[in-house]
Amino acid sequence: MIRLSPVSAPLTAYVEPFERAWRHRELIRAVARREFISRFRGSMLGPLWAVLSPLVMLLAYTVLFSITLPQLAAGKSVAEYASGIFVGLILFTLFSELAYRAPMLLHEHVNFVKKSIFPSETIAWTSVIRAFTYGGISFAVFIVFRLATGGPLPWTLLFTPFLAIPYALFILGVVWFLMALGAFTRDVAHVMASIVPILMFATPVFYRLDQLPPNIAFWLRLNLVGDYIEMFRGVALDGQLPNLFAYVAVVALSYAVFLFGYRFFMRYKSVIVDVI
Amino acid sequence: MSSEPVIRCMGVGKAFQLYRHQNDQLKQILFGLWKKFYHEKWVLNDVSFNVGKGERVGIVGRNGAGKTTLLQILCGITAPTKGAFAVTGRIAPILALGSGFDGLLTGRENARIGAAILGLSRRQVDARIERIKEFADVGSSFEQPMRTYSSGMIARVAFAICAYADADILVVDEALSVGDEVFQKKCEFYIADFAKNGAILLVSHDLNFLETLCDRVLWLDNGVVRKAGDPATVIAHYREAMLAN
Repeated sequence: MIRLSPVSAPLTAYVEPFERAWRHRELIRAVARREFISRFRGSMLGPLWAVLSPLVMLLAYTVLFSITLPQLAAGKSVAEYASGIFVGLILFTLFSELAYRAPMLLHEHVNFVKKSIFPSETIAWTSVIRAFTYGGISFAVFIVFRLATGGPLPWTLLFTPFLAIPYALFILGVVWFLMALGAFTRDVAHVMASIVPILMFATPVFYRLDQLPPNIAFWLRLNLVGDYIEMFRGVALDGQLPNLFAYVAVVALSYAVFLFGYRFFMRYKSVIVDVI
Repeated sequence: MSSEPVIRCMGVGKAFQLYRHQNDQLKQILFGLWKKFYHEKWVLNDVSFNVGKGERVGIVGRNGAGKTTLLQILCGITAPTKGAFAVTGRIAPILALGSGFDGLLTGRENARIGAAILGLSRRQVDARIERIKEFADVGSSFEQPMRTYSSGMIARVAFAICAYADADILVVDEALSVGDEVFQKKCEFYIADFAKNGAILLVSHDLNFLETLCDRVLWLDNGVVRKAGDPATVIAHYREAMLAN
């Protein structure tokens, strides 16, 4: 087939996903808005649920850990330990929720994809934006909760966006990849449903990497989700900036995942329309 | 016919890959280099035509002749297997029923998303939404979830969005036949007016409608253009062939 669109130069290939997202920003906004509206339609408390559910979870964890297992805290106070878990959970939930949902995303939007000139790669953006908005609300609830219970708020908190953005890019890449794969076979959804819970144990959600023997911790560091959780805890709880080398490596890896996911999706985009 | 075509279609063909099992699609991706897991079904074969600015072109053909696939290719929804095509300007497609509507959302909300898909900015949508509502003319149902709509009402909203999308090319796939007389007249009026500046590609089984509205008709048969040209002549031949069967 003759290429009628200009072939992108090597350098622009690295920013192409952003370019396309920017071009469709109005659509992404409209669809994201739609998801918020339909999520709270018909509920009495409406958007208040976005604040209530993390609050309930936070209280439950604090209560749970103040009556059980104080020894897990390893010298830290119970509130400190619960906070660590909560930060871990917020970040892991972002990942797991999208990993569960991604394989079915195209099936959910089949009307859009097949019957209109819909840029299907934007579905990943809207679902990630949606998840991160809820994650952000949970995090804000957590900050307020911590202030209320007298916990310290380190200045390094200002660094959280620099972690959240590459984390979002990493998840976007994963979503694109699973979205495309899930279009071909529904098994992907089942595979994710059995892998993700296992992955949770391999991620420092309920523990910290420094509590593990170093040779095991080394392997678990390959899990990007865990790295982000550890760095997030560092800046949000301990007032500790991440090691520069580790940070650069994690961001570079995330960006690689992002680009790979995007290319994979775009490569099979035209085929997907015919098979879904 | 105008000198500069807005749609150029050069030997476009489309083959669907048919798989015995759905999971063979995944195998094809993983092991496609070594083995073929599908057989091809050609629904379009070497279709070539141009549409000039200000032209209204109708497409006729039996079910399964490849009309919808051809429109989907031109809109960029699906890629052609062979050949090439070029489209200059913005396309507004009114494809089949319920194109991309969410039954849980109201007509207004769907119209906003539909307009965004066609590339309108939020400000443009804000400015036009009332006119879209007026054009669709579905009354208070505009604020109701679209799952409560009849097929005619869905077509009205779909057409109304495209009518205000600043499109250069309008692609209509049998969406008008479900509308009532009043709405059909409105659409005919709009299409006649639209053709002054833009091009229109119409698929319909309403042959009289095409004959009165189009400048040219394409007869698609088994994935090839069987005849193209003056509406009256092509449609007469098409009718003959249909009756002969």
